[in-house]
Amino acid sequence: MSTAEPSEQLILGIETSCDETAAAVVANGTRVLSNVISSQIDLHARYGGVVPEVASRAHVTAMTPVVAQALLEAGVEPGELHGIAATHGPGLVGSLLVGVSTAKALALVWDLPFVGVNHLEAHLYASFVEEPDLEMPLVVLLVSGGHTMLVLMRGHGDYEVLGQTMDDAAGEAYDKVARQLGLGYPGGPIIDRLAMTGKPTIAFPRPVLNEGYKFSFSGLKTSVINHIRKNPDAKTEDVAASFQEAVVDVLVTKARRAAVETGAKGLATGGGVAANSRLREAVIDACLEDGLTPFLPSRSMCTDNAAMVGAVGWWRLNSDGPSPLDTGATPNLGLPVR
Amino acid sequence: MIILGIESATTQVGCAIAGHEGVLASAHSSRGKRHAEMLTPQIDFVRRQARIELSEISVVAVDIGPGLYTGLRVGISAAMATAFALNVPMIGVTSLDLLAFPVRHSPKLIVAAIDARRGEIFHAFYRQVPGGVQRVTEPAVGAPDDLAGELLARGEDCLLVGDGAVRYAAHFEDLRGVDAAEPGLAHPTASSLVQLAHAQALREEFVPPSEIAPLYLRKPDAVEAKRIAWDRK
Ligand SMILES: [Zn+2]
Repeated sequence: MSTAEPSEQLILGIETSCDETAAAVVANGTRVLSNVISSQIDLHARYGGVVPEVASRAHVTAMTPVVAQALLEAGVEPGELHGIAATHGPGLVGSLLVGVSTAKALALVWDLPFVGVNHLEAHLYASFVEEPDLEMPLVVLLVSGGHTMLVLMRGHGDYEVLGQTMDDAAGEAYDKVARQLGLGYPGGPIIDRLAMTGKPTIAFPRPVLNEGYKFSFSGLKTSVINHIRKNPDAKTEDVAASFQEAVVDVLVTKARRAAVETGAKGLATGGGVAANSRLREAVIDACLEDGLTPFLPSRSMCTDNAAMVGAVGWWRLNSDGPSPLDTGATPNLGLPVR
Repeated sequence: MIILGIESATTQVGCAIAGHEGVLASAHSSRGKRHAEMLTPQIDFVRRQARIELSEISVVAVDIGPGLYTGLRVGISAAMATAFALNVPMIGVTSLDLLAFPVRHSPKLIVAAIDARRGEIFHAFYRQVPGGVQRVTEPAVGAPDDLAGELLARGEDCLLVGDGAVRYAAHFEDLRGVDAAEPGLAHPTASSLVQLAHAQALREEFVPPSEIAPLYLRKPDAVEAKRIAWDRK
């Protein structure tokens, strides 16, 4: 017997855009009945980053068991579902294709609508999964290993990309700095933990701080690497704390400026780097000072997951209808803007 | 017994449905690397042509490779999901077996060869036995010249079949006793798949979806990890 209410529409969400194989059952875009993630971090750790072919192979093996587990944990029979949603871009093409092919096959056999979901839009909706009544307009700081962007959400499905990174994503900079410091992979959580015991004593640059809403992290990464080379005795904790302070300073300064200048009611975050404890602290402080409503999704909703895919799937199914069954993967898919 | 077969190991993608009476319907297409786009509509089309409901399918067969990785995974993912959704068992058949099947009446040593890209081919040897062919070597990957050398050393009449044989034809054309099958047989087909799978199904050689594994024959590229930067214009 399922835990769903009769009036609810259940969507099975599938996410395979990078290195997490994930499936979730979500009711009405907000109530998460299950959220299963099979992480490949251990597989990629020895390469210091995601190897696309390794990721694709792991997705094939994990996909069907992850879907089965998501249905089991939700206590939902296929006949109770209203649709199947899968991320079709942006991401690694080989990884995306596993999720899309799986989702379309399930949709065909179970005679359900299929919905192709934009991964960036899914990150935006992670906030709504936990807080359905978030007021818009809302500025979302979307920051992960693959993306760093500021988005203005005027309403459901109504977005404007205010700015994004011109080079490295913030999470990418974390990984590269962690590699230089010999700390392992992924860099974000490791540097975050280390920074707690260090002091931000080094004044690293804040690239393009005063230039609109765009970001640049490549120069910051280089100056951290140069600092390590010139000061081999520098305390790793202090380097980590100083680097993190520079990243967070740039992200939060721009995000709060965007919120104030666009007249947004709140500031939300999304993406793996939004799980960073210093960033979360700084966002809350900034919002308190500026009279904005902060919204920080739980850590598990920040990193890649399928619940956010199921949420967007429900919104899109009800606003645009199903996607065609000849949908493929679009590795460079951009956020849909009006 | 109704078998759905899904095949996507080369530049071609296809599916077929067979019953005890043989192939009921099939579709294949090879226009531009669009396996993921084509496959689901193809399955729907083929089951309508065969006039069956998907719920009537009792086995899902799939080409497990070797072949081109991305396309191969599209077919295998779809096949595993279909079997899971229907709650039916699976049968995995290699792409090289599928190439040998249409030329099974040849008395020559059959050499199935699939283009593996990067200057290599996937290959295996087959010999005629009562009722079909039997694979006499394990699927392997190697340079065309190494395969040509092996054929030369064997010194027997051979029939080369597959897109690897077509692409690297120049490496084999001067070898005595080595013939190439017609180019129309260069791709493994879903029709061959359901026919081979039917014989296996009668012997109840099923596996659960969790035991289906792609035959890659190569380790993943251990080149320097490429970070993803899909938000860059
Ligand atoms: Zn993401």
